[in-house]
Amino acid sequence: MTLLALKNVTKTFRVNQREVQAVRNVSFDVREGECLAIVGESGSGKTTLANMILGLLGATTGEIHFRDAPLPARRPPELRRQIQFVQQNPLSALNAKRTVGSSVRLGLDTYRIGERAARKAAVEAALEAVGLEPELARRPPGALSGGQRQRVGIARALAVEPSLVVLDEPTSALDVLVQARVLRLLNELRAAKKLTYVFITHDLAVVRNIADRCVVLKEGQIVEMGETAALFDDPQHNYTRNLIRAVPVVDQTEVELRNKLGKFND
Amino acid sequence: MSLLSIHDLSLSFRGVHGTTEVLHGISLDIAPGEKVALVGESGSGKSVTARIVLGLLQELPSARIQGEVRFEGQDMSGLSRKQLAANRGTEISMIFQDPTSSLNPTFIIERQFAEVIRRRNPSATREDCIRIAAQALADTAIPDVERVLASYPFQLSGGMNQRVMIAMALVNKPKLLIADEPGTALDVTVQAQTLQLMRQLTDDHQAAVFFISHNLGVVREFADRVYVIYRGRIVEDGPTEAIFADPRHAYTRALMNAVPRITGTGLPDIPERSDSFEAPQISHGSAS
Amino acid sequence: MIGVLRIIVRNPMSLLGLILVGLVVLSALLAPWLAPYPDHNGAVVDFLNNNRAPSWNNLMGTDLVGRDILSRILYGYQISLVLGVIVLAIATPIGTVFGLIAGYRGGWIEVVLMRIVDIFLSIPPLVLAIAMMGVLEPTLTNAMLAVTLMWWPWYARLVYSIARGEREEGYVVAAEVIGASTWHIIFREILPNCLPAIVTKMTLDMGFVIIIASSLSFLGLGVQPPTPDLGSMVAEGARYLPDSWWLTVFPGLSILVAVFGFNLLGDGLREALEVKS
Repeated sequence: MTLLALKNVTKTFRVNQREVQAVRNVSFDVREGECLAIVGESGSGKTTLANMILGLLGATTGEIHFRDAPLPARRPPELRRQIQFVQQNPLSALNAKRTVGSSVRLGLDTYRIGERAARKAAVEAALEAVGLEPELARRPPGALSGGQRQRVGIARALAVEPSLVVLDEPTSALDVLVQARVLRLLNELRAAKKLTYVFITHDLAVVRNIADRCVVLKEGQIVEMGETAALFDDPQHNYTRNLIRAVPVVDQTEVELRNKLGKFND
Repeated sequence: MSLLSIHDLSLSFRGVHGTTEVLHGISLDIAPGEKVALVGESGSGKSVTARIVLGLLQELPSARIQGEVRFEGQDMSGLSRKQLAANRGTEISMIFQDPTSSLNPTFIIERQFAEVIRRRNPSATREDCIRIAAQALADTAIPDVERVLASYPFQLSGGMNQRVMIAMALVNKPKLLIADEPGTALDVTVQAQTLQLMRQLTDDHQAAVFFISHNLGVVREFADRVYVIYRGRIVEDGPTEAIFADPRHAYTRALMNAVPRITGTGLPDIPERSDSFEAPQISHGSAS
Repeated sequence: MIGVLRIIVRNPMSLLGLILVGLVVLSALLAPWLAPYPDHNGAVVDFLNNNRAPSWNNLMGTDLVGRDILSRILYGYQISLVLGVIVLAIATPIGTVFGLIAGYRGGWIEVVLMRIVDIFLSIPPLVLAIAMMGVLEPTLTNAMLAVTLMWWPWYARLVYSIARGEREEGYVVAAEVIGASTWHIIFREILPNCLPAIVTKMTLDMGFVIIIASSLSFLGLGVQPPTPDLGSMVAEGARYLPDSWWLTVFPGLSILVAVFGFNLLGDGLREALEVKS
């Protein structure tokens, strides 16, 4: 079933008396339960797209539908709750002046989820579900490592029981080992809670291992889209080839895959 | 003879809450013209090592440094602040992670170049500086050199600024270039081109490179030899090929396995911490 | 809190500030017990003893109607601190709310609110106070009102600049995506991040409020006799310099000590709070 559908979405910004089209005529679907990756470099429009899905910005033209109903930027609370967000920078994503627990609790209080007295326990359960000790609820974010903070961000997003989670480079700011664990956690949570992910990243290696389907964006437009394995096996567009070709790889088998794609060219 | 020789280097910081030990006796060598990578995660101590080589950390009152750092055979602890400063930009230069923020936003590129050129040659005229800078930029395959020289950093793209920074770092023909996570802030396609460029230019100039990174893939493509650092200790070292073909230390293996593959091998289950990471150093010896 | 205190105590200058402020506050609180002549803060005259140089009976001498200057200074501190506390207690919340709303909401609300702030800021503070006092009766209450009116816009501007920066931060975006109300975002998310700057400014401001109030009294526009006010004491005695120097010097020094102390403490507080974050 299609959970999210974008039809001919365009977003134009006015910058210094000039009009800039950050997103141009983008259309794609997100199926329930899948992980769809939006791949692009800087200037591709991926962040603008994410902001429109999250309701932080409105589209200039085109439509976004959620479960076959229109999804405007200003949306009613129950709809807002359904689509949540995990950010790139774990440090700024949490309020330094509030405890970790109170940040996670925000969603519970906003939507009055559960009895008030039970919310403290719900927060602790949410932290445990992302692999954190419940005692961390009382600490400020500054006392946690980057990986821990990112898990808190995930716990906060999941606490309101959304259907769709938009993740904007959720592991780019994390160390290698921490990233590996967080990616696994995200995979496990998606299966366990029957979530749908829109996973935004520039890291193709991550995409290859976590996404069911990909949308490749360049300068606001979709250049290629399809099932991940097929896309990597036989990329059609030159830009996609270049992206894959540019990934610094570790294994010999990866080198062979890259060589199969031919030389890097602009 | 080694160009850079670090022997049993330890570093600790005295702070409000006590002493924090950051480096626990690390040793590494860089031969002239060699490309050596120091790989580790955040908090491993890799960045402070670079700053010690530049003589920057020695100025901090809370830093306690023990051990030996020799550049071209000379013990750096015997050098005065002036002498250490004299080396920077001339014999040893450095490039940083985010090119746009590492360049002074209030000066045009030509002016910044001139400042660097005059470190080596204080009497260089403006014409000299422009000529030298233009050549340096042309070497980095920048097409419109005049426009770039007349621009401010914020007017140029990240990739362009990275080339400018590399050009500026190499213009005085240093013997050693320290690169602290270069290209991390750039798009992956731009990063690939930049690294290629850096490799080529340093080869041309016969400059050694001390390359600090957390990205194993980048290291594999760039470095001749690799040192893996974990929480202030070197845990494995050896020629790049050997390390990647046969990583032996538990931490190195964890790092390797943790990197997602474009071949789609999945997301392995790797611990973030493990006692086996504390195992002693494994050296692979030199390449055959 | 303890951490902040520790940092302040370590720095000699801010420690000095803390001590001075402590002395001033204690003097004010315990004036009725510390003052050698507690009733001299009121309508008492003793012409036999007037205009006396400092002696063992009157450590800081007596004024023109024979009142003990030391006692009047202690009570004068009371007045100054009360004025400072009340002015800040009113000006700070008003300015803060203005700044938060303007900084977070942006758009035309920001423009309107900040232009109002600009209007108030463009009037020289003392001129505004004098103008007001010219219209109203010169009493302590009216003096407080005048000073409050000139003070709140500075808080508005301070909080506005912080709020504008914070509104782009990840945690604010996160709260918006979760669906938190604007009220929550402004007061429970952004405001705590403004508090260090606000508290620091309030501490520094105590010194400045004391000076402004003393200036008003010096001009005869503030507190009226026989209530002891440090500024009026300086004014009265100014004519008799350099002969009866104690009439001016001691009240003047007491203003200096208080302002200096608050300044040092405020500086130390700012550094301590910066270190913590």
